[in-house]
Amino acid sequence: MTVAAGIGYALVALGPSLSLFVSVISRKPFLILTVLSSTLLWLVSLIILSGLWRPFLPLKANVWWPYALLVVTSVCFQEALRFMFWKVYKRLEDVLDSFADRISRPRLFLTDKLLIALAGGLGHGVAHAVFFCLSLLTPAFGPATFYVEKCSKVPFFLVSAIIALAFVTIHTFSMVIAFEGYAKGNKVDQVIVPVIHLAAGMLTLVNFASEGCVVGVPLLYVVASLTLVHCGKMVWQRLLESRNQSSGSQ
Amino acid sequence: MDQNQRPRSILDSLGEELIAILTPVSICMFTVVLLVCILNSDPSSSSSSFSSIATAAYSESDSDSSWDKFVGAFLNSLVFVASITVATFILVLLFYLRCIKFLKFYMGFSAFIVLGNLGGEILVLLIDRFRFPIDCITFVILLFNFSVVGVFAVFMSRFSILITQGYLVWIGVLVAYFFTLLPEWTTWVLLVALALYDIAAVLLPVGPLRLLVEMAISRDEDIPALVYEARPVIRNDSHLVQRRVWRERRSTQNDSNDVEVSVVRSVEVVVEEEDVGSRGGSEISVPLIDRRTNQPENSETFLEGIGLGSSGAIKLGLGDFIFYSVLVGRAAMYDLMTVYACYLAIIAGLGITLMLLSVYQKALPALPVSIMLGVVFYFLVRLLLEVFVVQCSSNLVMF
Repeated sequence: MTVAAGIGYALVALGPSLSLFVSVISRKPFLILTVLSSTLLWLVSLIILSGLWRPFLPLKANVWWPYALLVVTSVCFQEALRFMFWKVYKRLEDVLDSFADRISRPRLFLTDKLLIALAGGLGHGVAHAVFFCLSLLTPAFGPATFYVEKCSKVPFFLVSAIIALAFVTIHTFSMVIAFEGYAKGNKVDQVIVPVIHLAAGMLTLVNFASEGCVVGVPLLYVVASLTLVHCGKMVWQRLLESRNQSSGSQ
Repeated sequence: MDQNQRPRSILDSLGEELIAILTPVSICMFTVVLLVCILNSDPSSSSSSFSSIATAAYSESDSDSSWDKFVGAFLNSLVFVASITVATFILVLLFYLRCIKFLKFYMGFSAFIVLGNLGGEILVLLIDRFRFPIDCITFVILLFNFSVVGVFAVFMSRFSILITQGYLVWIGVLVAYFFTLLPEWTTWVLLVALALYDIAAVLLPVGPLRLLVEMAISRDEDIPALVYEARPVIRNDSHLVQRRVWRERRSTQNDSNDVEVSVVRSVEVVVEEEDVGSRGGSEISVPLIDRRTNQPENSETFLEGIGLGSSGAIKLGLGDFIFYSVLVGRAAMYDLMTVYACYLAIIAGLGITLMLLSVYQKALPALPVSIMLGVVFYFLVRLLLEVFVVQCSSNLVMF
């Protein structure tokens, strides 16, 4: 439905991440590199998953359990990769700290570490939005639109953009929760991230029912806001803690 | 939060040079993709009208079998790489015989032809597509002025840095767009062949590019070439000195407040200007390694390479810009998913090349890693990922 609609759908999916990028990430060149590398990592994980599942595709229509299996395997694989990403980040943090010592600058602050985690999450979220929503958006720039039977009230592009927005939020902030959880050894945080990811993936299976997206999409947004709230609480606590620590030690 | 007195963390300035070279590469690729999407949207205007030396051996048609197409593409790229090698050796010979003036004149002439001729063709196509009302005479005058300013920008050293960089990126966009008009098999085999040629030319002892670089270093001259430099070279022009000084002042500032930085900058810049002038030598010297020539497509000499200027600025040859954009532009002709994947692959390859550059500290070919990664990712996405993603999202199943 014309260029304006196409750009509109793209902005629905990526608008908040674009503003996050421009206001926070683009100030520090290292964060831009982090976003690019985590996007690349997500793409590689997606390629590996599609390589694994290629012999079984195309799946039969209207049968939902192969998709459930697909979602479960993909989420497990991506969570394992997230843990490995954290390991690499730990090593990078040591390298950066020793580099800072060498040039006699202060080591990484807490806000720096949180920003790197945020940039990593944003990379994952943007990759999700780009590959699941934007890459299918090309027909939306033309003169017509498209509806799927299972969700017949809303154009397909709009539904996928809305779902992609929820997933961008989930990916971005769950990476912050995950990094803090792994760093502090906090079991609750470590477990809650895969659970959220799996729950979100499973909720999209609700879209299989006829008109399921009326129920599925709001539930997905409930999960996304839960992630947001949990992340906000955790970050606030950590910042208060570190400020008390630094003012206590002075 | 009392952050005003906190010293600046290393995260603020780490990776600046890498971003400074990634930004123009991304802009070039984005512009080429945009042009491809706008101008190629009707399939009736076929690509068979573009003939150059790269299609001299074989011109592809849809009715040939895959094997024929592959052999034909292979012959095409052999011819192309051979002509590039010959032209590069002629360039080495001319440089050896110290015909610098001729090389400079040829470089300016080729920039004028690219901007005027190719730029004019693309602009005419765009005017036709958007039904933009403009008459011949106005168009010719504007195009002529644009091209002449472009020739001055890439030629003269005392030009505004932003405009020079903008013109270099625009020249890259124009040439890359015309390369994307080649037939499909020829493009892919050509890219791989050029990546292999680049390794040979820069790393082998008899490679023409290596000879060129060694001659330039031994004579302490720079090769007249079209090269994108990420940081401005210091000259005695006050505009450039200010920019360079501003970069230096930033690193010693203790304030994180941007307003204060700019105020302080305007006061202290005057002082610093004289300091730089009196300090002399080291920063006002001209970067040596890795300047490359760019000549128009009828002689097809695009030299690639990446190196470090003596002031530490990263320099990337214009040929690299062009062939990255050709890869991404060709990916855009299939689907946007391949565009994103190839973009990420090329950026990853560029990052790896820059890391190798910081380890080895000599001129390195910038094409091979990126092109190989880009080609691999293109075929992986086209064969594997697309089916997977379309299956999932058309049923609104995402993770």
